[in-house]
Amino acid sequence: MVNLIKNEWMKIFKRPGTFVMIGILIVAVALFGIVIKSQQNDMDFTQDKNWEQVLQEENNALKQQMDQSQTKTDKQFYKKEIAINDYRIKHHIPTKEQYSVWSFVKDTSQLIILAGLFIIIVSAGIVASEFNWGTVKLLLIRPINRTKILLSKYLTVLLFALFMLAILFVFSMALGASLFGLPDNPLSYLNYNNGQVTEQNIVVHLLVYYSLSSIDTMMLVTMAFMISSVFRNSSLAIGLSLFLLFTGGQFTELLSMKFTWTKYILFANTDLMQYFEGTPMIEGMTLPFSIFMLLIYFLIFLFLAFFVFKKRDIAS
Amino acid sequence: METIVELKDVTKVIKGRTIIDHISFQVNKGEVFGFLGPNGAGKTTTIRMIVGLMGLTSGDIIIGGSSIKSEFEQAVGHIGAIVENPEMYKFLTGYQNLVHYARMSKGITKEKIAETVELVGLTERIHDKVKTYSLGMRQRLGLAQCLLHDPDVLILDEPTNGLDPAGIREIRDYVRLLAREKNMAVIVSSHMLSEMEMMCDRIGIIQNGQLIDVQLVHDFVQSSEVTFEFEVLPSDKALALIEAHYPNVRAIRSRNGISVELTKEDIPNLVKLFVDDNISVFGIKEVAKTLEDRFLEVTSEKEGSTRG
Repeated sequence: MVNLIKNEWMKIFKRPGTFVMIGILIVAVALFGIVIKSQQNDMDFTQDKNWEQVLQEENNALKQQMDQSQTKTDKQFYKKEIAINDYRIKHHIPTKEQYSVWSFVKDTSQLIILAGLFIIIVSAGIVASEFNWGTVKLLLIRPINRTKILLSKYLTVLLFALFMLAILFVFSMALGASLFGLPDNPLSYLNYNNGQVTEQNIVVHLLVYYSLSSIDTMMLVTMAFMISSVFRNSSLAIGLSLFLLFTGGQFTELLSMKFTWTKYILFANTDLMQYFEGTPMIEGMTLPFSIFMLLIYFLIFLFLAFFVFKKRDIAS
Repeated sequence: METIVELKDVTKVIKGRTIIDHISFQVNKGEVFGFLGPNGAGKTTTIRMIVGLMGLTSGDIIIGGSSIKSEFEQAVGHIGAIVENPEMYKFLTGYQNLVHYARMSKGITKEKIAETVELVGLTERIHDKVKTYSLGMRQRLGLAQCLLHDPDVLILDEPTNGLDPAGIREIRDYVRLLAREKNMAVIVSSHMLSEMEMMCDRIGIIQNGQLIDVQLVHDFVQSSEVTFEFEVLPSDKALALIEAHYPNVRAIRSRNGISVELTKEDIPNLVKLFVDDNISVFGIKEVAKTLEDRFLEVTSEKEGSTRG
């Protein structure tokens, strides 16, 4: 299996296109950094001396709003805000934090969609290209059954995804550190869960944040892989997956205003962050429900990919 | 002789059409088996089923004692194959291509790769990208790819397609060499009859998905009466003479004289007749029927009988 993955890795990295993708990703992060740096110079950072007082007033206002609010989710939201503010006052953690490497890394997580685009391109091509090149014939007459070959291809896609996200993360961190500097004291992120506020190491938080933000990308990567295997057509796989990557979320949101069955749509469930910060798209959705839906979609995609690939007659 | 590949009642139905209809045959170690048939007869489909690229509708294929259906990995491990043109990864070098395939079989060392490259004569260009190779070089790389793991069975589907005469000859020599020296069984498919005649020990003729005939090439070509060509003058007189003495023998005028279908034993007699009658005899030669003639005969016979 290791050898098969080595093969696939070699086939990805011996093509110039791959390096163009990596290059674009790095340039995008660099541009991001330059833009933020140039804006940051305008606003000078000063910590409000009376921040504790301000926060207290804000809390009082929030409490009023909470009492007036009707829905349960709204109440939840206010409760969370108040709890975090209380924690800040109690532990002397100011609200305003200097823009540092960590803020930058969090901002560049928006570029995950760009990395996702490149991963989808690789994923869509990894099976379909073998058919286009005609190399599939020589690939499948080896003493290795087709399930293993397809599995090695899927694992390679996952590795490549990890590689691209790691590049994004590490490069953002390096660039952020050199442009904005490391914060004076190690920061922690305030986590609110079940009425309890806890401090979380910022790096751990960012890693979790990155993983959660990558879920929709990874689901579409898996879908592209499935289309690539079932239809042997990389253009279709790339086109459809990218279209859904960019529009799926919005469409689902539009639909969710009218229909409750929207909660069964893939994109209603890809944003797991909604359960940690903010409110679910549709009332009644829970974290286990979303994980279950994601798992179902994931298994359907993989089952289709493997089933069709295993049964196919190679006739072209 | 040891059987290495055996097809048992192999049938393939695609979308209700029977492409391959109950084909059975065996191929032995050390022999070159030719698979002959017009385009669309089912040669490539049969070969794709042997190498596991296509599934079987019914029947089974046993390679080295393992069934392609139930023990795919063992069965295919005995096989090295080129199916149609050997398509390689053009963005990789020849060597990287070979490493790629070597990783997919067990126990292929670097030395083995180098040795195989040497055998097919690609040592100088092996580290160039495949896209810079000529068709002949790609064909040789294809051959290297299927020899890496020392297979017991070599399968070549239309190996000489698009090659120049020198390339064709090269492939032919390799095939003969491998069958002789390494005791490999080689299965070659082609519609190039002259090629098959020179390359194969045995041929199977396939038409409309059915195996019409399996014979030794030698027997196959020789199985009809032999024709002799007489270079004689004047030929009219000679023809009349044959008609008078051998009424049942077919004799026709040919380019250099007359051609007569008769047995070898009759020749001295006929020459004596000619000489006695003052006909000058310049030469006599045996005209062997080519595989092409026989092939057309056999396939048209079948065609005729199925139509009639």
